[in-house]
Amino acid sequence: MGFLEKLKGATKSPPRVGYKEIFWSWLGGALGIGLLGLLASDALALQQRFLLIGSFGASAVLLYGAPKSPLAQPRNLLGGHIFSALVGVCCYKLLGEEPWLASAMAVSGAIVLMHLTRTLHPPGGATALIAVLGGESIHALGFWYCLNPVGLGASIMLLVALVVNNIPSHRRYPEFWI
Amino acid sequence: MEESRDDFGEIPGEFGSCGIFMREEDVLEAMREIPGYLDITPSDFQEVYKHACRHALKRIMFAVKARDIMTREVLAVTPEMPAAHVARAMASRGISGVPVVDEKREVLGVISEKDFFRLMGAWELPNFMAVVARCLTERGCVAFPLKEKKARDIMSSPAITVQEETPAVDIARILKQKKINRLPVLDKNMHLVGIVSRADILKLPFLGG
Repeated sequence: MGFLEKLKGATKSPPRVGYKEIFWSWLGGALGIGLLGLLASDALALQQRFLLIGSFGASAVLLYGAPKSPLAQPRNLLGGHIFSALVGVCCYKLLGEEPWLASAMAVSGAIVLMHLTRTLHPPGGATALIAVLGGESIHALGFWYCLNPVGLGASIMLLVALVVNNIPSHRRYPEFWI
Repeated sequence: MEESRDDFGEIPGEFGSCGIFMREEDVLEAMREIPGYLDITPSDFQEVYKHACRHALKRIMFAVKARDIMTREVLAVTPEMPAAHVARAMASRGISGVPVVDEKREVLGVISEKDFFRLMGAWELPNFMAVVARCLTERGCVAFPLKEKKARDIMSSPAITVQEETPAVDIARILKQKKINRLPVLDKNMHLVGIVSRADILKLPFLGG
């Protein structure tokens, strides 16, 4: 297939899902992110205010919108976020003087590590990036960033997914654990 | 179907086209029937299906042995049987080839339509109708030289044979490479126990069965 031929695309978009499916996706997203937000704003409960980070919005799309996807499975959710966070913190510590370089290495390194560990989870790219660009409060956490907010937040979203995705008869979650 | 069904190749993947060809619309329809967002495109599915089917085919072609698909009641002839008797036996059973066996049921050779054809001078003639034409126009039938011959004179030998344990994948390969249509099947003591033909291979799943 030639280069221009490839640009035309080769197949069709998957069909739109039914309204029931959309409802449960909405409910999962609302509960998952809502719960994270509540816990994050309650400073007494978890001492940190960073439970909610942007990359969880992307995780919510996968977990509640495409729960069958290999990218949305618990292994990928937890592994993808935690490994990416590790790469991100390392890159900030080593290359923090040059934010553009640290960012590039954080995201690309996260992709590599997620591939190697079979934990590909696209929001991990954002988690790695946030470790570099998240500002003073994130930088101050050091490697704790990997556990809280990242590991803890992802675990809470996982719990919500395990409950919500298994209520309707036509849905199930997860497809696999490890 | 693009590939011919009996296009037996070296690689098991080429032993036949895989299953039913599914169009993109069929896959899309299936995806609509399954609730939940499927994180694949129709062409992803087609790609996976093609490969999976090839693996299934390979597995079956290795798992199925000659003994599973062979015909057990084999008509066999003795080396001393006159050619005319052989021809009559083949005609009455409606078969196109017979093994020639000795008293111990060891296979000495195989007689097929091709062997008759060859001895009738068809090697110089382009096809069966040319043989008929010559038969009708010239004096005497081209089959007459066969009259004095016995099974041992017309058989192809040594016979190409397989064992009961030979997998279908190897049978298909031999049939293709040797351009033959049937293979006598022998037991451990080299005695004839069955015969396996091209048609038996084609009866396997994915190959038209």
